[in-house]
Amino acid sequence: MSDDSRNILEVRELRVRAGERIILDGLSLSVRAGEVHAIMGPNGSGKSTLTGVLAGRPGLEVLSGSATYLGRDLLAMPPEERARAGLFLAFQYPVEIPGVNNVYLMKASLNALRRHRGEPELDAFEFLNLVRARLGAMRMDESLLNRGVNEGFSGGEKKRNEILQMSLLEPTLALLDETDSGLDIDALKLVAEGVNALRSPARAIVLVTHYQRLLDHVVPDRVHVLAGGRIVRSGGRELALELERRGYDWIQDGTAAA
Amino acid sequence: MTAASAIDRIAATHARLAPLLPGGPEWAHRRGRALATLVGRGLPDRRDENWKYLDHARLAGYEFGVVARPAVDPAALAAARLPLEGACRLVIVDGRFDAALSGGEPLAGVTHEDIGALLGREPAAAHELLRLPADDADDRFAVMADAFTDGGVVIRIAAGSSSPRPLHLLHVASAMRPAAHHARLVIAVGAGAKLVLVEEFLSLGDAAVFANLAAELAIGAAADVEHLRLHRRNPEAVQVETWDARLGAGGSYRQHLVALGGGIIRSNFRLALAGEGAACRLAGLFLADGKRQVDIHTQVEHCAPRTRTEQDFRGIATGRGRGAINGRIVMRPAARGADANQSIRNLLLSPLAEINARPQLEIHVDDVRCRHGATTGTLDPAQLFYLRSRGLDEATARNLLTFAFCQDVLAGMPLPVVRDFVATRVADILPDVELMREQA
Repeated sequence: MSDDSRNILEVRELRVRAGERIILDGLSLSVRAGEVHAIMGPNGSGKSTLTGVLAGRPGLEVLSGSATYLGRDLLAMPPEERARAGLFLAFQYPVEIPGVNNVYLMKASLNALRRHRGEPELDAFEFLNLVRARLGAMRMDESLLNRGVNEGFSGGEKKRNEILQMSLLEPTLALLDETDSGLDIDALKLVAEGVNALRSPARAIVLVTHYQRLLDHVVPDRVHVLAGGRIVRSGGRELALELERRGYDWIQDGTAAA
Repeated sequence: MTAASAIDRIAATHARLAPLLPGGPEWAHRRGRALATLVGRGLPDRRDENWKYLDHARLAGYEFGVVARPAVDPAALAAARLPLEGACRLVIVDGRFDAALSGGEPLAGVTHEDIGALLGREPAAAHELLRLPADDADDRFAVMADAFTDGGVVIRIAAGSSSPRPLHLLHVASAMRPAAHHARLVIAVGAGAKLVLVEEFLSLGDAAVFANLAAELAIGAAADVEHLRLHRRNPEAVQVETWDARLGAGGSYRQHLVALGGGIIRSNFRLALAGEGAACRLAGLFLADGKRQVDIHTQVEHCAPRTRTEQDFRGIATGRGRGAINGRIVMRPAARGADANQSIRNLLLSPLAEINARPQLEIHVDDVRCRHGATTGTLDPAQLFYLRSRGLDEATARNLLTFAFCQDVLAGMPLPVVRDFVATRVADILPDVELMREQA
């Protein structure tokens, strides 16, 4: 990476509380355009809180620190503004919303982003053509479009639906919260293809994952280990492989020793 | 004003009006007895378990006198009512059947009779025909209707007749100043007949009208009735209704109650599943915005083997709106193998809004299945966040979720024109959001 490459996300010394517990405790992270970062860590280390606080999930209280997105104070923006500015969160547990049509939400969402960018909205016909093309790539059944959002979807269908939305919205910063968990190998490959298709010099991707297997298909530029609410180690791809071999205890023991 | 003074005013109106009403000495006697019963029992109040959520002080403030009925402009009515293509139309104006405004396309096997005319011509037959009120403490407004009976309509559907076109029954409140009116309605559906009935309650003008309906519905064996009921009166209007319905063996009855207008709506709907295998679905959707109060009471009695009930109610309250849903299901000893499923879900959108839900099961036989669930809550924060994380602003997300909440009841409605109308009205009542209208 050259020094003048764009800084997409800059998180500094972030401390976040959920209820009575401090979940993030001085987390710092820098993500530049074109990069794919993987954030790994044991359960309860704060991975979902990190993506949540960046996307604006309610119920998380920022105690101190900052998060800057494309030079703007991310934490001061309501969730919808973050989305319109190009931030996308693929949920670990996509919520079911019966009564809100899936394809309708995608269209409303894409057009909200396009309006924000000053681009003309897509009409129903243009949108359907676009979504059908992406649907094929995700090998999703067209019937899923006209169901309620995630309503009655299998776990894998929900995750693919998240990736479908991501591919339609073409975010500048994509946060994927354990999108790989609970997927069989075929679905995992589809998700990886979706993520790889999004890779570009103008974008950045943060993959939060418990396991390294997604990283066999999406090769990260940087790997971070999150433990105790902060990043305790960063490295290249080989760090993920080492974690796989030695387990998280190795890192946590290492932290304790350090 | 207190309930006591309301009763006094009702009695005074009765004394003035009774000598002018049709039906001869027989009906004079019946009305007098009804008034005495009403005065004896008094209007319901907060101490009555089944009436405790109604704003009785507000109700007692209404005018119970009767004013001259203004002529209704047919063009104004045509513009105000639902545009139902090919419907046969029967119109009740301020409690009386209006032959001139009725019309549309006749339906094979459907006949009607003006109760006002019947009272004058054959008082004894009218006496036989009109069975309400029953001897039930909840029937006090039916007692009131009996005391003032002067009109309404009887609708008969011949056995075996069937039409895909709807029967459109309009209850029009035309008064330009506060007034009360009382209507009688009798619907008899013959064995094996099929009927799509759309009842619409609307106001022409913005007067604070107190409207009272006593209705009787008898559905014969193996008959099939879809019944849409749409309340959309002005925000000052009161509608109180007492229904006594009966469903024969193998019959099917599906009601879709939608309350989007009016100031106070109190609906008492009592249904007996009298014959083996009779099946009903009672679905309802109300939106209590502004100061609207919607108070829905249903009672389904399973009196025969293998009878079935599906109940699905959705209530939304916002502003100072208030709602109450009381769903009582009774399994009589003869109801072996019966099945009842009741779902009541309510949504509160403002801190001053209130909805009370009360499921009641009364089971006198072992071999039955009954399930019920009632929830009252606010919009789901996880769903709101999901929509906002996709770029939808908070107001749009809230309205979309509110609209989604209505979908189950909307989706079950049989006539697309009515369904679309209701969906659009719901979208209109919620703050102005283009997106929802698009989804509607």
